[in-house]
Order: sequence, then structure tokens, then C-alpha cells
Amino acid sequence: MPADAVLQVTDLDVHYGKGRRRAQALDGVSLEVRRGETVGLIGETGSGKSTLARTILGLVPASAGRVVIDGEEVSGYRQRQWRTLRRRGVVQYVFQDPLRSLDPDVTIADSLIEPLLIRGVARGEALVRVRPLLERVRLDEELLARLPGELSGGQRQRVAVARALVTEPALVILDEPVSALDSANRVEVLEILKELRTSGVALVFISHDLGSVAGVADRVAVMYQGRLVETGTTREVITAPQHVYTRLLIGSAPTLRSGAASRADRDALRAALLTA
Amino acid sequence: MVRRILSLRAGRLAAGILSAIALLAIFGPLLAPDNPLGSSSKTLAGPSGQHWLGTDYLGRDVFSRLLDGSRDSVVGAVEVALVALVVGVIPGLLSVYLGRVFEWTSLRLADTLISLPFLVFAVAVTALLGNGITQAMLVVGVLVSPVFFRVSRAATLAVARSQYVEVALISGASVNWIVRRHVWVKVLPAVAVALAQTMGVGFIVVSSLSFLGIGVQPPAPTWGGLLASDLNYLHYQPWAPVAPSVLIMATVWGCNLLADAIRDVSGETGRALINTRKAQANGLGAKRIPVEGRV
Repeated sequence: MPADAVLQVTDLDVHYGKGRRRAQALDGVSLEVRRGETVGLIGETGSGKSTLARTILGLVPASAGRVVIDGEEVSGYRQRQWRTLRRRGVVQYVFQDPLRSLDPDVTIADSLIEPLLIRGVARGEALVRVRPLLERVRLDEELLARLPGELSGGQRQRVAVARALVTEPALVILDEPVSALDSANRVEVLEILKELRTSGVALVFISHDLGSVAGVADRVAVMYQGRLVETGTTREVITAPQHVYTRLLIGSAPTLRSGAASRADRDALRAALLTA
Repeated sequence: MVRRILSLRAGRLAAGILSAIALLAIFGPLLAPDNPLGSSSKTLAGPSGQHWLGTDYLGRDVFSRLLDGSRDSVVGAVEVALVALVVGVIPGLLSVYLGRVFEWTSLRLADTLISLPFLVFAVAVTALLGNGITQAMLVVGVLVSPVFFRVSRAATLAVARSQYVEVALISGASVNWIVRRHVWVKVLPAVAVALAQTMGVGFIVVSSLSFLGIGVQPPAPTWGGLLASDLNYLHYQPWAPVAPSVLIMATVWGCNLLADAIRDVSGETGRALINTRKAQANGLGAKRIPVEGRV
């Protein structure tokens, strides 16, 4: 394993269910994320993007394969070992819907410092540490005393991003972080993510929309039906896609400069995908 | 929390009623003007200067009996509610977190307890443990506890699968942390309502049991016992059940008001309510706080 990898996933298999209803969610997925790198994880609904993220975080058990986080092999970890690792705050996660990922009864300030409090940091000190982060995600300090219900969707998502950063993580996994936002807020959150790249945090940006990832990611990994079908630099993947599914994906993204494919082209690609 | 409850009119009313009842329970037996057990020849007399609420079928002063019985009645009802609370809520919370074996066992145990008729069961257990109000209330409390078990379990389940709990888990939170920080606030209002209802049930049970001679022994008075004996002489004294009924109703009503107040001030709805009040007090008028994404 290269010294500068924060995350290394090797031949990961994940199954849901038991017996006859056992279904494979991930099939031999291998992925590496280097320090400070931004990787876009693209795929349609049900392709296994979120399952991959949740397996990395230890929320879903893997049936085979290895996961190495920050040089630590976590594959056979038990609850207690997970807890110790998580308290170090190396990997953080941002959910798609900030309204559901913030406790409606807890003030913004308390939500933000929660990861620090869990770690045993005193409240006063935790509050001091949170202040500079607010500036980074462009949140006003007066919002700290409010409840999530009193914030706009964009503000809430920026709170969620700030919370993921309080532990100074090496890797942040963002699961569709802008899908629930309107376009103005989407741009703002994407701007913040771009700035984050320069601070040395590695980001895994999960999305079904290649367009929103293209401007942020250094590399793109494309998932299709539980398999990683293509990885490469963002430019490579967009300009010279190898896999049929990737070509269909790019053909269906009107926001990309390479232009949308015609309907006939897309239909042809779809047919090719079915026979592939 | 206490200050927030008292800022509501329902909360103040509840506090007033319940403290009056509590004072009655503490000092009632001392205030009784007459011997509550002393019978006289003046049976079933109407209200007079000497006997404010008249006398019962054995010529005992009803007012004194009411005051004297308040302690046993209130203590009995509180005991039922507290036993049910402790026996129900803690396993209710744990059933979500302690794994499948505990979950299954506790659920089946709760089903079993629901199916037992508690009056009959109380009779059986007092036969084993000796006849006393505490023994009887302990049994009834355990038998009523499935209400608390189910209420707290349902509230916990809803929270336990939420994303914000998952976020806390990802940061390495322990179960203890999650319960204290995220679950408890959501469970409390539901439990408070169940508690108030159980207090009401408690009064009825204490009286039913003392009617059967279990728990509080006749001739010792309780509110429910008074009500039961009054009912036999309804055609002589149709007004007699009013006094004990009013006391029982007031207590149950006070408990329900308190439960409402707790529900109103806890959680996000409570915060929103308090914020609008503050805004009004600051002369800003009822400025609506924009709440998005919620119906």
C-alpha cells in the first residue's frame, strides 16, 4: 500500500439478506483514495455507491475483501475497535438530507461540537474550536443558537459539512451532498468543497450526476450494478470514457461541455449496456 | 424545564392542583376534625356545622374520612405509576439496543403481562407476600408497566434508526451517549402522558382493591373506598359520591395537564412555542419562524 493512501479498498464483496433472498450489493470493488485527493463516485440509484461508503464506515459488514483506513486494517473490526477508530475522527460522513442528519431538538452549536464532545473534549474548548470552521463554510455565528428547523436547506448542509470537519478528518465521504439543495445553494456548497480540497482533506464525493462532480473531483470512479466499471482522472473519464455505461452517463448529462448525445445515440448505448 | 413548564398556563394550573393534592396527602390525616373511624348513632346525616360533609352509614364523619384517606390514596396511585415507570421505561429503551435475544424476551414478557388480569393477580400475590398497600401496588405497577414499555420502545425505535443517530455513531458515540443526548428528549413527552394516565388508573385500582379488602384494609378510608360505600346508599344520599369524585378527578386532571405541559415544552415544538412567546414579549409580534421541509 502506498504511504500516502488514506483509504484502500480491495476486492470488497457485500451481500444483503440471507438464504434465498441474499443479494449481492458490491462485487469485487477496489478503490484507493490518496491524501488530499477528491474522488467522485458516480453511479445510478442502486449501483452500490452508498453501500460502499457505509461499508467503509463499518455500518454494513463486508462478506469478503479488505478495507484499510489511514494505514489501519479494519476488515475484522469489532464494535469496540470501531468506536476507538471513529473517535479519532479520521473518516467523517455527510448525508444527503441535512434535515434528517441533524437532530431537530439539538441546537446548531451542540450538533457541531458533538463529535468533539464524544471524544471527551470539554464543551468550552469545543466551542472555541468550532468558530474558525464557521467561516470556512460561510455560516453566521448567530446561527449557533438556533435549531435545524430554523435554518434554510443550504445552511443546514453547510452545518453538516462543518460538523464533518471538526475532528480534522483525513477523509470525508459526502453522500449526494448537493442533491437535496436548490441550484444557488448547490453552487455555494460546491464552492466550499472546492476550497476544502486545498486544505489537504481527501474527499469522496458520491453522486448520480456526473455534472456536479466533474468540477470538483480529481478522479472519477464509475459504479454499475455493484461493480466498479471504470476509474480514471476526471478529464480521461469525460473525454474518453471506456465503459458503455459511462458513455451513456456522459451522454445523459446536459451540463457537461462535451455535450449531450442525441436520443438515438443514447438508445444505442442503452441497448449495448443490456447485451454487455 | 421546570421554568418552561411554569411559563405555560396549563403548567401553572397543574402545579397548583398537584401541590394542593400533595399537601392534602401530607397533612390531611392531621387536619381531620373528627375520628375517621369513630362511629356514632347519627347515620347517613346530611351536611351540617358539625359534620361538613355529613356522616356515612355507620355514622362516621365523611369529611374526616376524606382527609384521612387522602394519604393512602395518593401514595397508592403514585406507587403504581412509579413502579410501572421504572419497570416499563428502562427495558423499553434497552429492548432497542441490547440485541435480539433481549428484545424478543422482553416483548413476549410484556405481552404476557398485558394478558394477566391485574385485580386477580394482585389478590394472588398479596396472598403470597402479605396484605399491604405497597405489595398490592407493586404488583399492579408491574402489570401496568407494558404501557410504558411499549410507549418508550416505540419512541426509541423511531429515533434509533434516524440519520442523526447514525452520524453520532460514526463519531464513535456509545449507546449511553445516544440515549442521553438524542433519545431521551423524544421519549420523555410520551412517557409523561402515559404517567399521568397511569396515575388515574392507580386511583381506580387502589379503590377497587380496597373494595375487595386488599391493600388498604377497611375500615381505613380511601377516596375510592368512600366512593364504593357511598354508592350503596345512593338513594339516601345522592350527593355523597361528589366529594371523593371531585378529589379523584382533580388529581387525574392535574396529572393530565402536567403531561400536556411537559409535552408542549419539550422537544422542537416546545422550543418553537417558547421562541414565539419571547418574540411576542419583545414586541416583535408573532413572527413566524420559517420551517422548511416540514408539513
